[in-house]
Amino acid sequence: MSELRLENVRKEFGSETAVSELSLTADGDLLVLVGPSGCGKSTTLRMIAGLEQPTDGKIFIDGEDVTRRSPSGRSIAMVFQNYALYRTMNVRKNIGYGLKHSSALSKSERIEKVEEIAEMFGISELLDREVSALSGGQKQRVALGRALVRDPDVFLLDEPLSSLDAKLRSQMRTELQRIQQELGVTTIYVTHDQKEAMTMSDRLAVMNDGELQQIGSPEATYVRPENRFVASFLGSPAMNFLDIDVERRNGHTRYLLDSHELVRVSDDTQAIDRPIQLGIRPEDLTLLDDPDDGATTGTVRHVEYQGNDSFVRLEVNGRIVTCVVPASVRPRQGDSVGLNFPPDQIHLFDMDAGDAIRSPSVDASDTRIETGPSTTEGNETDSRGANR
Amino acid sequence: MAEQRRKPSESSSLSESSASGAVHVDGLTKQYDDVVAVSDLDLHVEPGELLVLLGPSGCGKTTTLRSIAGLEHVTDGTIHFDDEDVTRQAPQRRDVAMVFQSYALYPHKTVRGNLQFPLRKTDISGTEATERVEEIAELLEMETHLDTRPAQLSGGQRQRVAVGRALVRQPHLLCMDEPLSNLDAKLRVETRSELRQLQQRLGITTIYVTHDQEEAMSIADRIAVMNDGRIEQVGTPEDVYERPANEFVASFVGDPPMNFCDPDDVQAAGIETPQSAAGSPDTIGIRPEYIYPTDSRGEPAAGDRVEVDRPSDPVVLTVELIEPVGRAYEIQLTGHGLDLVARLRTRPDDVTEGDSSEFVFDLDRLTTFNDAGEVV
Amino acid sequence: MTVRENVANGFRIVLDGHRRSSLLSRIGFYVATALTLLFSLYPFYVMFITSISTNESLYSRDRGVIPKSFTLEHYEVIFGSGSFPVQTYFWNSLSVALVTSVIALVVSILGAYSFTRLDYPGGTLIRRGIIVVYMLAAITLVIPLFQLLVRFDLVDTKTSLYITYTVKTLPLTLYILWNYFRSIPVEIEEAAFIDGYSRLETIARVIVPVSLPVLVAAFLFSFKIAWNEYLFASVFLQSEALYTLPIGIETLDSAFQNVWGEIMAASIITTLPIIVMFLYLEKYMVEGLTAGAVEG
Repeated sequence: MSELRLENVRKEFGSETAVSELSLTADGDLLVLVGPSGCGKSTTLRMIAGLEQPTDGKIFIDGEDVTRRSPSGRSIAMVFQNYALYRTMNVRKNIGYGLKHSSALSKSERIEKVEEIAEMFGISELLDREVSALSGGQKQRVALGRALVRDPDVFLLDEPLSSLDAKLRSQMRTELQRIQQELGVTTIYVTHDQKEAMTMSDRLAVMNDGELQQIGSPEATYVRPENRFVASFLGSPAMNFLDIDVERRNGHTRYLLDSHELVRVSDDTQAIDRPIQLGIRPEDLTLLDDPDDGATTGTVRHVEYQGNDSFVRLEVNGRIVTCVVPASVRPRQGDSVGLNFPPDQIHLFDMDAGDAIRSPSVDASDTRIETGPSTTEGNETDSRGANR
Repeated sequence: MAEQRRKPSESSSLSESSASGAVHVDGLTKQYDDVVAVSDLDLHVEPGELLVLLGPSGCGKTTTLRSIAGLEHVTDGTIHFDDEDVTRQAPQRRDVAMVFQSYALYPHKTVRGNLQFPLRKTDISGTEATERVEEIAELLEMETHLDTRPAQLSGGQRQRVAVGRALVRQPHLLCMDEPLSNLDAKLRVETRSELRQLQQRLGITTIYVTHDQEEAMSIADRIAVMNDGRIEQVGTPEDVYERPANEFVASFVGDPPMNFCDPDDVQAAGIETPQSAAGSPDTIGIRPEYIYPTDSRGEPAAGDRVEVDRPSDPVVLTVELIEPVGRAYEIQLTGHGLDLVARLRTRPDDVTEGDSSEFVFDLDRLTTFNDAGEVV
Repeated sequence: MTVRENVANGFRIVLDGHRRSSLLSRIGFYVATALTLLFSLYPFYVMFITSISTNESLYSRDRGVIPKSFTLEHYEVIFGSGSFPVQTYFWNSLSVALVTSVIALVVSILGAYSFTRLDYPGGTLIRRGIIVVYMLAAITLVIPLFQLLVRFDLVDTKTSLYITYTVKTLPLTLYILWNYFRSIPVEIEEAAFIDGYSRLETIARVIVPVSLPVLVAAFLFSFKIAWNEYLFASVFLQSEALYTLPIGIETLDSAFQNVWGEIMAASIITTLPIIVMFLYLEKYMVEGLTAGAVEG
C-alpha cells in the first residue's frame, strides 16, 4: 500500500490552464476523478503517470518526489480506454511482457505470477489465445491483468470501461472493486460517468475547469454538494435550480418564487442578504395529485416513463421543474398537480459565487454520511473502513 | 438551463407536417458475406410515431435503420413507405432524413449552409427556403449562430444543427442513429425530452436507434427490442418493462436489471412460486424495486405512493453492500442460494452492510420463464 | 495555423524542452539542424550570389563568400539578348505545368475517391500498380514512352509533355488525395446522399471543398514536378520554340562563353515562380478544415 500525494500541481498548455493548484492524497483506496470532458481529470492522471510534466507543483509516491521521473521510473501501472494490448502476442505474453523488463523475477516465478493474476481476473483458460480472438470484455481483463501483474504502487485507470456495453460494464465494475480491495493498491480512476463514479469510489473527487471542486465519500458529495457545479453535475435527472427571494418574518424564513411562497423554514440562523438560488433534487420533491394539497401548483408538461421511476417535467410559475416519482404514479400531460418542497431537502446557493449556503440537514438516519472522510483537503484519512 | 428556455413559436409552416407517413418492413434480411446482421425482420411504424430500435451493440439495429434509409442494400425482404415500395430506391429518392451519431455536418459550410443544403434538392427555394432555415434555427435556438461553422460550435449546438438539417425538409421519415450519445450525461437527459416534444409537435414519423434503455423508455411511443439480428419484442415502454416477452428483454430493459433466480432457491426461501398450466417455471424473475425491507411492524417499507399488491412472507437475507447511486440505493442481498439486487428510493433504516435483515417480495410482480427463456 | 506557424511551433516544442532534454541531446539537435539548413540553403545562396556577381569576380581566384561588387548584367543578357527567348520558355513551362497539374488533379480526385469508397474488380491491383509506377525511375520510362509518342505521332509537341507529365505526377497526387480522402468520415457523404445529392454532386459539393487544403498541396507538387522536369522534355522536344525553362537553360551553355552568371540568373528566374506560388497558396493549405464535422 503506497501513498500518493499531489501538492499544488498545475499544468498549463500554452496559455491555457488545464489543471490549477490541485492537491490531493490517496492511500490504498480507490479515488475516482470525475468531471465533464475538458475538466482536467485526464491531464491529472497523465501527470501522475509521468506522461505529462506539471508546470508547477510536486507529486510524491510514498513520500518520494517523483515529479521529474519518467513514467518507467515510477512504480505505476496504467490502463487505457482502448486496451492498448500488444496485438502480435498471445494473452500470456501480453501479461508477462512488462514483468520481464521491470522485475528481477526468475522465469518460473514470472509464469506463476501471470497465472495467479489470470485466475484473479478469470481469464486462465484464455492464456494461450491470441488477443485478436478476444471479446471486448476479455481484452479489458487482459489489460487490467497486465497492469496489475507488476505490483505497482499506484494503479491508474483512464475510463477503462467506457467501450464496454452496460451489462458488462457493471459486471467489470464490481470485479474491479473486489480486486482493488483484495490487493489494496492505491488506485486513481478517471471517468465522466457519474453513476460509475458513485458506485465505484471510496472517495470521489469532482473536477471542473481544472479545479478540484469537492472531495469526499460519494454519498456525502451527493447529499451535501459544496457548490452549484457539484450539485448539478451529480444526479440524474439533474437538481432543479430556482432563483428565489428570501423573506424573514417572525422567526421564519420564507423562500419566495415570484413572491409566491415555496417553503418556510424555521431553523435559519444567519441572515442572507445576497441573491440566492434554491436547489432541490427531483427525487426530493413531493408530487401530490390534488393541486390544493401542495404548497405550490404545477402543470405536467412531459412525463418520461422509466419503468421503476417516472421523470415528470412540471411547469411552475413559468419555470420547468423536474420531479421523480415512482412509476406507479401516473400523472398525465396537462394535469394540474400539487408540489411540496420538503424543508429538510433544500439546498441554497450563492447566486454569483455558486457556493452552497445551506445543505440538507443531517438527521439521525443519515449519520453514516458523516462517517465518510472529511471533505477538506489535508485532512484526509483512509476511508476504506468507513465506507465499505 | 432548461427552465430558462423559452418555447418556440407555435405558428409555423413547419408544424403539423402532413408529409410523414407509415413505414412497413417485411422479411428484411441483411447478410455481409457469411454474417447475418438482420434476419427476416418485420416492423411496422405508424404515421407520426416514434419507434425506438433498442439493443446491445451488434444486434443489427443500426443495419436495420440504414437499410430503411437506403444506405445499405438489403439481401432480402421489402421496405414500403406508405404504399410505395422503396426497397431498391437510392437514398436520394426516398425522402428520408437522418441524424448521425457523429452528426456528419458539412464542415466547410456555415450553420445556414448546412441547413440550406437539403432544401436545394427540393422545389423549396428563394425566400421560402430562407424563411424555412430561419424558422428551424429559431426552433432549435440556433438563430444567433447561423453564420458560424461547425468547428466553432459546442457539441450540443452541433447536435441541434444536425437535427435541424434533418427536419428542414419535412421528410416522410426521420432516422436517428444514437443522436445523443456524444453529449454529456446532463445534456443528454435535457435534449432527449426536447427532441421528443419537437417530434410530437411536428408529428414526424421517426425511427430512433439507441443502446441506452433509459433513453429508449423515456422517448419512445413503442420500443422494438433487438438481439442477434431479430426483434425480441415490440411494444410500449410499459409493455416492454412490465410485460417482457422473454428473458432477454427482461434483462436488457431496466436499471438495475431484473434478478433471475432458480425456483428451487426461491421456494427454499419460503416464497410461494407461481405455478402455471405449463408446469413449473425454469427461472423466476423479480425486478429490484419489488424487493422491500420491512419496517418495525414487519410490513414492507415501500415508501410514499408505492403499493405492495401481494407481499410475501418476510425472508431473511444478508446485506452485502449498500451502494448509493444518486436518486436511489442499490442493495446487494444474499441468502438461501439467492443473489439479489434490491433498489430502494431512500436509505433504509436499520439496515447495515454485513448484517441480516428481513425483506419482502411483491408476489404479483414475479415473472416466470420457461426453459426457452420465454415468459410463461 | 499556417505551415510556417506549425514549423515554428515544432521548433519551440523541441527547444523549450516540452519533454526535458539533456544538454547533450540539445546540442546534437542544434548541430543537426544547422547542417540540414546549410546543405539545403547554401545552393540557393550560391545561385543568387553568382547571378549578381560580375564575371571578373566570378572567375577570379580570391572570391570570398560575399562578393565585392554586384551587377545585373547577367539578367540583362537573359532578358535583353534575342538569342535567349526567355519569354517563350517561360510560357511553355507555365502552360505545360498548368495543364498537367489541372489534369492530374481532376483525374486524381476521381481516382482517389474511387480507391477510397468504391469496390470494383481489379481495384486492389490498380492501387498497387500506382505505387509501383511511382517507384520506377523516370529514366526507365523514357524509351517506352518515346516509342508510344512516335506511334501516336506526338514527338516534338506540347501534348507529349501534357501526357507524360500527367503520367509522372499522377501517382503522387493520387496517393496524397487517397490518403486524405480516407480520413474523411463516410457519414458526411451519406448525409449528402440522404439530402438528395448524387455521388458526383457529393464529390463536387462536399468532398472537394472539404479537401481544399490537400488539393492545393497536390496541385503545388504536381506543378513543381512539371515545372522542373528536364529529362522528358529534353528527349521529347526538338524545336526550340517548344522548349521549357529547364532545357532552355541548357542551351545557354552552348550559346555563350563564361555562362555561369547567366545560367544562375536563369535559374533564379525559374525558381522564383515556385517560391512565390508556395507563399501565396500556403494560406489555403491550412489544416483542420474537417474539424467539427463529426464528433469523437
